[in-house]
Amino acid sequence: MHIPDGLLDPYLCILLYIISLAFLIWAWKGVKKMFSRSFVPVMAVSSALIFIAQMINFPIAGGTCGHLMGGTLLGMLLGPHATIISMTIVLLIQALLFADGGITTLGANVFNMAVIGGLSFYIVKLFIGSSSSQKRFTAALFIASWLSVVLTALLTAIQIGVSPSFASAGGLMTTVPAMLSVHIIIGVIEAAITAPLILQLSHASPTLLNGLNIMRGVNNEPHH
Amino acid sequence: MNRITKALLLITVGLTLLIPFASTYPDGLEKVIKSLGVEEPVPIWSGLIPDFSLSIIGNSYVATVISGLIGLFSVLAVAWIIGWASLRRNRV
Repeated sequence: MHIPDGLLDPYLCILLYIISLAFLIWAWKGVKKMFSRSFVPVMAVSSALIFIAQMINFPIAGGTCGHLMGGTLLGMLLGPHATIISMTIVLLIQALLFADGGITTLGANVFNMAVIGGLSFYIVKLFIGSSSSQKRFTAALFIASWLSVVLTALLTAIQIGVSPSFASAGGLMTTVPAMLSVHIIIGVIEAAITAPLILQLSHASPTLLNGLNIMRGVNNEPHH
Repeated sequence: MNRITKALLLITVGLTLLIPFASTYPDGLEKVIKSLGVEEPVPIWSGLIPDFSLSIIGNSYVATVISGLIGLFSVLAVAWIIGWASLRRNRV
């Protein structure tokens, strides 16, 4: 869902750069407070994993394709703050190396994918509450990862919808339903990958899930 | 880097072998842009490795995997440097 250059209103690009920068500063301060250097390998490797996962496009109905976005997955691996930093690095390299997502629209793409991805951590948290039920955890992961994709699609739709390029196509009234109808399906695939994967990891190697440990208030320094 | 992190890195490197089989259909956003008849803007930047292919390598499977690996290690390096520079030394 990477917005290319030239589609967004220039003022909107600037605004979204500023908003994303504010979130990045918040995220950076959070990471600094929470982790020491032993966190670096898991953060770097998780970023690389999401970068590669985003390159593996799978076909979906109607001659279109989707790929894992990985916001909620990262959220469970790294916590909300580091997820925003990590996903921003992924988006930056995608734009620089492959022109996947524009340069002028990087602020928008960071907001739509990195910030929403990071904040999806709090959706999981909200749905789990204080429960330690496995079923509830699975449902929370499913809802959060589905919502992260749908919210990203909605934000993208709104941003292109209010931009002049889409005015003749009907603006918001067409972009919002068009984007949502595709991404409510892609979101289900996102959820169907994320929820079982995190569940498996929570059994096999719980120390890897820094995000989950932050949520549960466990000592969040990675295990050695 | 502990054992779990190493395993995760190995899995990630292994996944690059799948990139050449990725669907070439337009993604959700590209599809919407096309279906609404919005003119695709002329790109101002085509990337250091446009279209995931390195022209110096003839075999397109290998070229795609290698460009994926270049991306993978770029992300790894940038994240590592930023993390290392930002975080304090390990608690003992």
